[in-house]
Amino acid sequence: MLGKRQPIPKVPTKIAGLDEILEGGLPRGRTTVVSGGPGSGKTVLGLEFLCRGAMAGEPGVFVTFEERAEAIRLNASAMGWDLATLEKAGKIAIIEARLPGEEIVSGDFDIQGLLAIVDGHVKRVGARQIVMDALDVLLRIYDDLKDERNELSRLHDWLTDQELTSVLSVKTHHDDNQGSQYEFLDFMADCVIRLDHRVLGQVATRRLRVIKYRGSGFGTNEYPYVFGERGIVLFPLTTAELTHQPLGTKVSTGLKGLDLMLEGGFRRASCVLISGNSGTGKTTLASTFARAACHRGERVLYLNFEESKEAMISGMLSPGIDLRPSLDDKTLLIQTAMPESTGSDNHLNRVMETIASFKPDHLILDAVSACVRMGSKQAAFDFMMRLVSVVKERGVTSILTNQISSGIVNDDEELSGIGFSSVVDAVVQLRFVETDEEMIRQMLVVKSRGSAHSNRRQRYVITDRGIEFPDTPRSPPGRAEKVCRKDGGK
Amino acid sequence: MSKPPSAKPRARKAQRGHYLLRLFMAGNGSNSQKALANLRSLCQEHLEGRYTIETVDVVQDFEAAVRDNILVTPALILVAPLPRVVVLGNLSDVPTVLAALRVSDGDA
Repeated sequence: MLGKRQPIPKVPTKIAGLDEILEGGLPRGRTTVVSGGPGSGKTVLGLEFLCRGAMAGEPGVFVTFEERAEAIRLNASAMGWDLATLEKAGKIAIIEARLPGEEIVSGDFDIQGLLAIVDGHVKRVGARQIVMDALDVLLRIYDDLKDERNELSRLHDWLTDQELTSVLSVKTHHDDNQGSQYEFLDFMADCVIRLDHRVLGQVATRRLRVIKYRGSGFGTNEYPYVFGERGIVLFPLTTAELTHQPLGTKVSTGLKGLDLMLEGGFRRASCVLISGNSGTGKTTLASTFARAACHRGERVLYLNFEESKEAMISGMLSPGIDLRPSLDDKTLLIQTAMPESTGSDNHLNRVMETIASFKPDHLILDAVSACVRMGSKQAAFDFMMRLVSVVKERGVTSILTNQISSGIVNDDEELSGIGFSSVVDAVVQLRFVETDEEMIRQMLVVKSRGSAHSNRRQRYVITDRGIEFPDTPRSPPGRAEKVCRKDGGK
Repeated sequence: MSKPPSAKPRARKAQRGHYLLRLFMAGNGSNSQKALANLRSLCQEHLEGRYTIETVDVVQDFEAAVRDNILVTPALILVAPLPRVVVLGNLSDVPTVLAALRVSDGDA
């Protein structure tokens, strides 16, 4: 039929982020192949799809060719899915289809036995979806490629006849990144997903890529994923630009002087970068903002990748910023982590889980420069881009501090450190200036999207009462000169 | 995986030297029919008077296939004498089957 392409029916996987990449889910009543190396998460992906389906009332069958049923149940319960209960309720059947491995072969055979077993279970639970995990193990009994293909065709035809939404997982080897040994399987399936587990800069990262999807569009990038507390979490950036909230109303920075320079403060849901050399007071400025926001009853999540919570709290007492009351009334949450403790994807997932439970109004990340220690500049960039995109979608203000190497100022790339200045809405630069008698500190608003701002370098000091401006900062020039874009910037 | 109850009452009653063979078939599939024919002629030739063949149609009785963990058909299980042996395929390769069942030509 010519004309408009009909959207094919899909089944949502309900796996965080995957349905966006698959533009709705897996093809209903059709076969999807998931391939990847050992430890890439094929089993968990299949299991999550099945469990989430069953919990939503879609019964399913899980056929395991490799692991024991008990291991599968343990896997599931580690993710918080109660497989045993779903089995008892008749929502899921697990079939342990493990070949004993000691068969003697004489003449031709086929997988009718397996299909009969599967058919019995499918009918019993009324399954609409099925996962066959580690199909490669079953295929090992075939010496002949032609026999293997015949059996795969038989399996595929049967699954299609039963109108089962199927996920077939196969193990591929590392040096074989195209998974060519199962070329035929890829050809046969309607949707092919590749999972990749690799080590970059000593940090393990996982990537998912959709190779093909008959009759449907899909996100074509490689998407990082992690195993979260509740299953697989993917971080697609496919829709991020479209769903960003417009920049919100002004929110005080906690410093009257800086509010004047910014004509009211930072904008909600914007991304603010505070950059400066070591010792210029970036953490002090960020903490000033945090304390003021918490006093207003707003919630602040402070991510510190540089020092411990205790060190930070006591360090801020010296410029007179007491964060303890805000911690006590739970408006402030300080989360610390060593950047090198795990990969950027795991860091991101941990932060996402905290954002989901704590629901902050503002997020402070101290410091961008430390994120490079998560593995590489690219890893840090991925982490920052995804974090900023997600918080923007939620209308959360993000304040990022960045330590710049001495001697470099005004270089926008260096300011943002890892080259993501396009997502930064406002930049406050702190620096030391040497005069004949002393080192003085100066603060400059380099940019403030969708808002006027002062262009003056403003001298400031850090006392035991916090950051102070000896001279009253000037507000931005008159309205005639003001640059104000309704769209909130480029 | 629990050990399938390979020894049914009938198997236990089996006399010494008696062969109990369980053949899993899939309906009228050609390989299954071939396997049954091959098994019958093989038994007549080499085990006359001391064998029993049980056939199981997995399409009719998938639970039986679950019990004996039979994924491919045809599949022959030597239930007795122990140890248990599984032979996959239509049993066309007679020497392989005889060796698997521990039957030498001299037994005939």
